[in-house]
Amino acid sequence: MVKVELKGVTKRFGDVLAAGDVSLQIEDGEFFTFLGPSGCGKTTTMRMIAGLEYPDEGRVFFDGEDVTNLPSFRRNTGMVFQNYALWPHMKVFENVAYGLRIRKVDGAGLKKRVDDALELVHLGGMGDRFPSQLSGGQQQRVALARVMVINPSVLLLDEPLSNLDAKLRVEMREEIKELQRELGITTIYVTHDQEEAMAVSDRVAIQNHGVIRQVGTPSEIYSFPRDVFIATFIGRGAILEGIASLSDGGPRVDLGGFTVDGVDTASAVGDGDRAACVMRPESFSVTEPGEPSNRLDGVVEWSSFIGPYREVKFNVGGTTLLVDVPPETETPVGGSLTVYIPVRRTIVLPWDEVK
Amino acid sequence: MDLKKTIRTLKRELDAMTAIQTFIAYAFLLVFLIAPLVLMVGQAFVYQGGTSFRWFVDLLSSPEYVSFTSRGGRLFEVRRGVMYLWGHDYGILLNSLLVAFFVTVFCSIIGVVAAMLMGRYRFPGKGIFRVLLLIPLLATPFVNAYIIGKLFNPRGGLINYLLVDLLHILPWRLDIDGLVGVILAQTLSYYPIIFLNVLASLNNIDPSVEEMAENLGARGLRLFRTITLPLFLPGLAAGAIIVFIFSLEDLGAPIGFTGARANPLSRKLVSYQVYSSFAEALTGSFSPKIAALAVIILFIAVAGFLIIRRYVNLRTYAMLSKGGRWSPRLRTPSVKTRVAIILSLLFLVTLASMPQIGTVILATSNWAISGTLPTKATGQYLGTLISDSDVTRAIVNSLLYSGAAVVITVLVGASIAYVVARRDIPGRSVLDILATIPVAVPGIALAVGYFLLFSSKMFRGSILDPLLDPALLMVFAYSIRRLPFTTRAVSAGLAQVDKSLEESSMNLGADRPTTFFKVVLPLIIGHILGGAILSFVYSMSEVSTSVTLGALREDRVPITFFISQIVYGVAAVGSVSIGAALCVLLMAVQITAMAISNYILKQKVAFLGV
Ligand SMILES: Nc1ncnc2c1ncn2[C@@H]1O[C@H](COP(=O)(O)OP(=O)(O)OP(=O)(O)O)[C@@H](O)[C@H]1O
Ligand SMILES: [Mg+2]
Repeated sequence: MVKVELKGVTKRFGDVLAAGDVSLQIEDGEFFTFLGPSGCGKTTTMRMIAGLEYPDEGRVFFDGEDVTNLPSFRRNTGMVFQNYALWPHMKVFENVAYGLRIRKVDGAGLKKRVDDALELVHLGGMGDRFPSQLSGGQQQRVALARVMVINPSVLLLDEPLSNLDAKLRVEMREEIKELQRELGITTIYVTHDQEEAMAVSDRVAIQNHGVIRQVGTPSEIYSFPRDVFIATFIGRGAILEGIASLSDGGPRVDLGGFTVDGVDTASAVGDGDRAACVMRPESFSVTEPGEPSNRLDGVVEWSSFIGPYREVKFNVGGTTLLVDVPPETETPVGGSLTVYIPVRRTIVLPWDEVK
Repeated sequence: MDLKKTIRTLKRELDAMTAIQTFIAYAFLLVFLIAPLVLMVGQAFVYQGGTSFRWFVDLLSSPEYVSFTSRGGRLFEVRRGVMYLWGHDYGILLNSLLVAFFVTVFCSIIGVVAAMLMGRYRFPGKGIFRVLLLIPLLATPFVNAYIIGKLFNPRGGLINYLLVDLLHILPWRLDIDGLVGVILAQTLSYYPIIFLNVLASLNNIDPSVEEMAENLGARGLRLFRTITLPLFLPGLAAGAIIVFIFSLEDLGAPIGFTGARANPLSRKLVSYQVYSSFAEALTGSFSPKIAALAVIILFIAVAGFLIIRRYVNLRTYAMLSKGGRWSPRLRTPSVKTRVAIILSLLFLVTLASMPQIGTVILATSNWAISGTLPTKATGQYLGTLISDSDVTRAIVNSLLYSGAAVVITVLVGASIAYVVARRDIPGRSVLDILATIPVAVPGIALAVGYFLLFSSKMFRGSILDPLLDPALLMVFAYSIRRLPFTTRAVSAGLAQVDKSLEESSMNLGADRPTTFFKVVLPLIIGHILGGAILSFVYSMSEVSTSVTLGALREDRVPITFFISQIVYGVAAVGSVSIGAALCVLLMAVQITAMAISNYILKQKVAFLGV
């Protein structure tokens, strides 16, 4: 298992910046995820770690050793491709045995290790099939077994679940997480599904236009987005624009019809600046919490029953907010409603047009 | 910084295997394609020891080559009950261009009409026509033209007998010969090239595009002109330029007609001129004037090819279609129209497969000497294929040359395809073009270049010296000329192998050669074999270099040279029926090959087009 480090890694394709000055440390045994919208450079960044792409600038280190120019076949990474890339002309057994044969393992040792790997992904006895005779989920497991069998020092997973249906996706991601925990292998994961990223990762890096915007644990990123892009990309709820004024307690934002107090997580908002105010729907409550809070009085515009909660479009002084309330709350359209949100959950960020 | 990066990239991309592949490809193309042609171009500018345009000026100003008034010939002239269709002689160079032009126009008309009928209408017997329309692709070099000449002979030709004596449809007998004969023979053998290209484009048109236009009110001709035609035009252009080049370099028709009728007009073509000058070449000298002539057609062919290729690349509309039905629009016309369609296709198919049918009849009967119709079946001519030692030797020679050529062309073609598709090295687009350009290089130009280069001082007395032994040169000529087939077949295979299949292998620790042999090769082996079979077939029936370089040593002649000598009437073995028997053998080889690649390898290798 190794520690992976990127220092100032940059990669361009013509005018497109696929990785912009990416500097990161991924700890030994960590489950680390790159999350970002399509085309932001996640795959490219991962491919540079795998040695399938080479940076224009910057260096890549494995356990402090510079591997920037090492070809892929010398790096001992195990990459699972988005399309699985199983070799259609080889049976499952041969697909999995491939890396071992390259490493000159053969005979009984080879058979045992391949069988163990197939067992590990619950595919025992399927070795005799061709990839085309497997379901999508099974193919995905073969792809996983194929890299696990060589004991890679880093496991690289590029949107491994994107071809599966919703239910299988949840099942497989739990299996992967389980396996990773058991083996303690450094794992780098790429996805554009935020829920998936949140569910499995120790830490997440949010990337946009090649640049890493924030690195942190899922809850850090969710609760304390560093900029408007992240706040928009992660989680639900409206981002409101206003003018900030600073007091000793923290920033207060004038949102037109009303004002709220909040916390400046990026410490970048100045007095009189345009500011963005992020209030997650689930941070609201209908009873006053025992901490400093903002009280909002408004009118219900529309409400819908989701199950665990009721989603309400809520108009305060001409501004519409999204608010989750307990499912049993009475919210007739046009009726008035009062909700509270703790100050520490009211995030104030410098305003920025999201591109 | 940028230089450093380039060097770094090069160091990474140019591993041992890529380096070897690239080196072999370039070396092969340099020695057997570029050097001979460059030398030929150089020679064409040599005059009395200096450099001069003299030969070109000579050619273009002499009426023998370029004349704006007829130097003889007959066209639509009726004399004593015979209508003469020979064409007029406007000088050798203009004749060649005019013939190629008319062949291209006629092939385009026939090809487009046939493709529209096959691609847009439903009628009984369509499946059979699909096969019959392709019969002319079976190469029966020289014999095909000979048979057309024979059928349209005013004295005892079968067609004249049928139309005039038996059915009294025509008031005079037809005498199709000379340049018109060449045009007819070439049109009948080349129209499938355009037919296939246009049909492929038609099938590629998203039906909803046409439906949309109809929906907006476009109908019939207007729909055809505004939507359908522009969409298949690239396919038509691609097929048309190939037909033009093939006609320009064709030797089969001029030699075949000369054999049938001895009308000197059918020889007044550039290809024939270059061919006949190889007789002098035996003495070791070669007229720079002929080199200049070859340079002119080389230039026209290559320039035309590159221009069209560019246009086709620009105009290949990707059909973006989301959902909806994706089967070609087929209309079921009225009964009357259906009958008309079937009759016209029947007429075309009968006319176009006359050479192939005639070849079989010629080979299995006494038709060559019996007059209008054969009177007796015989197996004696097919028998000579194994009993006559000269004939057998020609067959063995062709098999050996073609076999060797296939090995070379597969090694080089697969390397080029792989490097072009997968490696990021400078100059790979040059490699790509060089591997395609042989389609456009007239075989006779290549033959002249080979002769000039390899009989020069540098190679004199070596195993490549054609005056000593032309066998190896024919092998290399075949492999160069068929290189585009293999390269394209392998490229098509590689296009289906996702790059990630290779990357995952390298990711698991396999280096590039291991990855190539364990992952890539097994996945494209079908395409490689398909390309190899195609190259083999087309090497067996190769004409231009076989009849020129092959002439240089008697015991090295290939099949096609042998056929040309028989048809021309200069071979010792005599009967043209033996030539036909050899053509039957060629057809059998082709049919077997097509069957293997269609049914065993499941490859539909598209074999002609830009
Ligand atoms: N080989 C290439 N040549 C040119 N441009 C490329 C290449 N590979 C990637 N790009 C471009 O670089 C950018 C980043 O691509 P990348 O595949 O890393 O995105 P991604 O974040 O993985 O997206 P997705 O979620 O859609 O897979 C994109 O704009 C893409 O078009
Ligand atoms: Mg990606």
